[in-house]
Amino acid sequence: MSDDGDGIASEPSLRAYLDTLDEAGDLVRVTDEVSWDLEASAIAMRAGERDAQIPLFESVARSGVPGARLVGDPYRGSQRRPWDRIATALGLPADTDGATYYDAMLERLTDPVEPTTVASTPDAAPCKEVVHVGDDVDLLSFPWPYIHSGDGGRYSNLHTLVAPDPDSEWVDWSTHRAMVHDDRQASVLLLAGEQTPNLFYYKYERRDEPMPVAIVVGTEPAVQCTSVMWIPTGSDEARYAGGLRRAPVELVQCETNDLYVPANAELVVEGHLVPDKRLDEGPFGDYFGYMHGPRRSMPALEVDAVTHRESPIIPFCVEGTGVGYTENTTSSMEAGCVGPDATLGLRAAGFDVIRCVPWQFTPRTAYVVATETNDPGALHELANFIFTTWGMLHIDFFIFVDASVDPFDTREVLEAIALHADPDADFHQFGTETMPKVPLNIYQTPDEKGDAQTGTSKAKTAKAYIDATGSAAARPDVVSADSRDRARELLATAGVVAEEGE
Amino acid sequence: MEFRETVDALATADDLVTIDERIDDPTLPFAVAAESARSNGPAVLLSDVPGEGSLACGVRGGPDRMLRRARLPWYRYAVGMGLPADTSYGRMLDVLTTPPADRPSLRRRAAAASGHDRDVTSLCLPVAGEDDRQLVSDGILAVEAGDRQLWAPVRGEVRGRSTLRVHVPASVAKRAPENAPVSVALGVPTAALLAAHLSSAQTQPWRRWSAPEVAAALDDVPLAPCAGGLLPASAEVVVDGTLTRAAGSATVPRAAWEDVANSEPFAVAVDRVASRSDPVLPLAPLGEPLGDDTHLTSLVEGARLSARVNGYWGVSPVSWIGLPVEAGLGVCFVASEILYAGFEWQLANTLFSFGPTFDKVVVLDTDATFENLASALDDMWVKAHPSHDWIFSEAAAPAATAPSYRADGQTGSRLYVDAAWDPRWDEEFIAPEVEFELMYPEEIRETVAERWHALGFDGTETSEERDE
Repeated sequence: MSDDGDGIASEPSLRAYLDTLDEAGDLVRVTDEVSWDLEASAIAMRAGERDAQIPLFESVARSGVPGARLVGDPYRGSQRRPWDRIATALGLPADTDGATYYDAMLERLTDPVEPTTVASTPDAAPCKEVVHVGDDVDLLSFPWPYIHSGDGGRYSNLHTLVAPDPDSEWVDWSTHRAMVHDDRQASVLLLAGEQTPNLFYYKYERRDEPMPVAIVVGTEPAVQCTSVMWIPTGSDEARYAGGLRRAPVELVQCETNDLYVPANAELVVEGHLVPDKRLDEGPFGDYFGYMHGPRRSMPALEVDAVTHRESPIIPFCVEGTGVGYTENTTSSMEAGCVGPDATLGLRAAGFDVIRCVPWQFTPRTAYVVATETNDPGALHELANFIFTTWGMLHIDFFIFVDASVDPFDTREVLEAIALHADPDADFHQFGTETMPKVPLNIYQTPDEKGDAQTGTSKAKTAKAYIDATGSAAARPDVVSADSRDRARELLATAGVVAEEGE
Repeated sequence: MEFRETVDALATADDLVTIDERIDDPTLPFAVAAESARSNGPAVLLSDVPGEGSLACGVRGGPDRMLRRARLPWYRYAVGMGLPADTSYGRMLDVLTTPPADRPSLRRRAAAASGHDRDVTSLCLPVAGEDDRQLVSDGILAVEAGDRQLWAPVRGEVRGRSTLRVHVPASVAKRAPENAPVSVALGVPTAALLAAHLSSAQTQPWRRWSAPEVAAALDDVPLAPCAGGLLPASAEVVVDGTLTRAAGSATVPRAAWEDVANSEPFAVAVDRVASRSDPVLPLAPLGEPLGDDTHLTSLVEGARLSARVNGYWGVSPVSWIGLPVEAGLGVCFVASEILYAGFEWQLANTLFSFGPTFDKVVVLDTDATFENLASALDDMWVKAHPSHDWIFSEAAAPAATAPSYRADGQTGSRLYVDAAWDPRWDEEFIAPEVEFELMYPEEIRETVAERWHALGFDGTETSEERDE
């Protein structure tokens, strides 16, 4: 992806982004034939474990679509700077520290740009280069990857789900994985409490109406970034995607419904979620690093059309590898997209938040919030707000630290918990088994998870926040700021490079 | 291995940089040591500093585990004892808890340090802050009590030209006779420093061993006579004097080991300062994150608690016990077989009883490793049920010593996190981990590994190497 010099991505597409990586020596074009059946995933996992280049599989065995390709974890960042490839994708400097990156993201997110629409022609909308409608659709002809041994099936798990509110003009973009069942059917993981699932379970299904949806695979990077964010209800992600790329996102109408989708996507699956129809979903190796089970029932997607570019590229995430020392697309997008968005959201809600940063080794479960306040009431209110909004289902823990603690530095945060969070006064549980939880966890038994038809566990859980503020007062600096600066200069002169966040 | 040999070994391993630039600012060496430690930098040798000798910073420090690094926190200790650079934590614990079948004989040789100066201020000892006194941050004190040779770690300061004020563990202080001849050695072998800690803490199984015997069991540490009895012959500096009990404490930053052992101050009236030619003095950034003293205490406490707990119930279910340096010794991680429901409670509370620095324990399954702290810190959040498995005691427990709160000793709660699988669960409840070995058939794993470089990948196994 080229940059016009103003941080604006001039060729906003997944394949342009991959070309940028290629030019930088950060992409491996795997030309040997590779199977979608575990092999592509194994290579992508190994690449993640070794902080290696992004693999683009250019020859996929047993694909029914000419030239169809796979790319493994295209937005996986480095362990040191999880946001670096997302920054590259958005035309931002990749080698900046976390604070600078956050500031740049916040600046763009606060300046949204309205999308435009384009004609439904292959020239204007590359996703229309090939169109299959009705019985012509063959979902299984695409090389959807089988990612982990033990998965319930082949998945599309790195896409944007486009779904409309039946009562307004609002269209939600989100990410909900889909397990392919046959030529025309998939099950979609919808967990009540999130925006699109709520629209389905509590509006469409209660009215016994099908929910039109589009699964947009291989979108331009800005669209993928906003799809993982918790953009407030009623606000279209398309505007924020435009903000991230500093230019309008181009949308084109679907073939079989009224939805508009990003025109430069690699592939679009049009269909509808059927009320009161469920299909098996899972097990699946999930974001917290374990296979979770058991298999459960999730809403059924019936496919009406598939459109795609020639030689489409299907991105996938080796889910479950973004824990511990290893990054994957989920964990990097958590750090690079969700964190800045959450920071913005908390500030907009009036909270005195410096930055909200995911715990480096555990996506979607624990977050660190650096704040100027250590007032117990203010921290409780902040935690209460988060746990009742976007932090409700997945996140179990928030850790509050002083402004002097770098939330990107997990060592500093761990030290703050260990030395400044008093078990007596600073660990706050929101009740015992009073709060909702998604079944995507490993601390509940299968019985506790149950098979609730709306996708939350049958048993409730607790959530907690840890007040680890107080570092600054507890440990007065032995070394003066002036001495530290001179020490850094001296070390730099000797070739010792300070790590990120220092 | 002598101290200066350890310095050389670290330099050979590209883990020590030498700065030859003249440094006149007396506070700068401590700041350099603190900054290099905090930013996971190398050890630093400052060759041109005020006073006699050069300063070696962070020789007993090490990096954190917040990245998958080529080196682990205790790597410099392994190097200092002549062990392989990639020595595992388990092996380190074995070394520190397993005496040889026969007590080693103590080898003697002439002391490397010589001279009869009495001016301690002539040494290149640093200061931490502008108004501070010269600092003794890494060394051992030798004193004889009856027929027993005692060694103790010291932390202290220079008070005038011929007086030191040093803090030593109370276990040694109470046995040291008033006005006894005493020696303080700086720049000693790593094995000798560890021996001083293990011995003064009366750690099993070394309780009946003298400190020099412990040192000899850990490494080849020849000894030489001194005013205080015997000290490592290779010591860079030996200060001989007379011990008196001091009325006040040293004002320099406390050492991490003082969170384990109450320390008492001594004054040492200096009779003689002997040093090697071009002595190399150690500098540990006391009180700073990832300081040498924190690393040392982490290792010794890990060994002490492991020796204490395993066998405590007639069996040895514990794989390892570790106090991460990254957490400033305020948390203890333990990997253990959970013998029966409730064993995790016993285990955590036993550790609370024996380990004074922490009031938080994380219980892990035996497949967890201390090397992979990131994974342990993932399990803490995802395997433990936020309400069932975060267990707080009643608020009547004594205050831990490492944390900043309740420094007045007020009682409060302790917390343990049970991040191990519940032994009551059926086998099918146990979720398999997403990892390369488990997720892919052997044939695919082998093919991928064999073709890796041919496919065009050049990734390495550590994040550091990628950045380089």
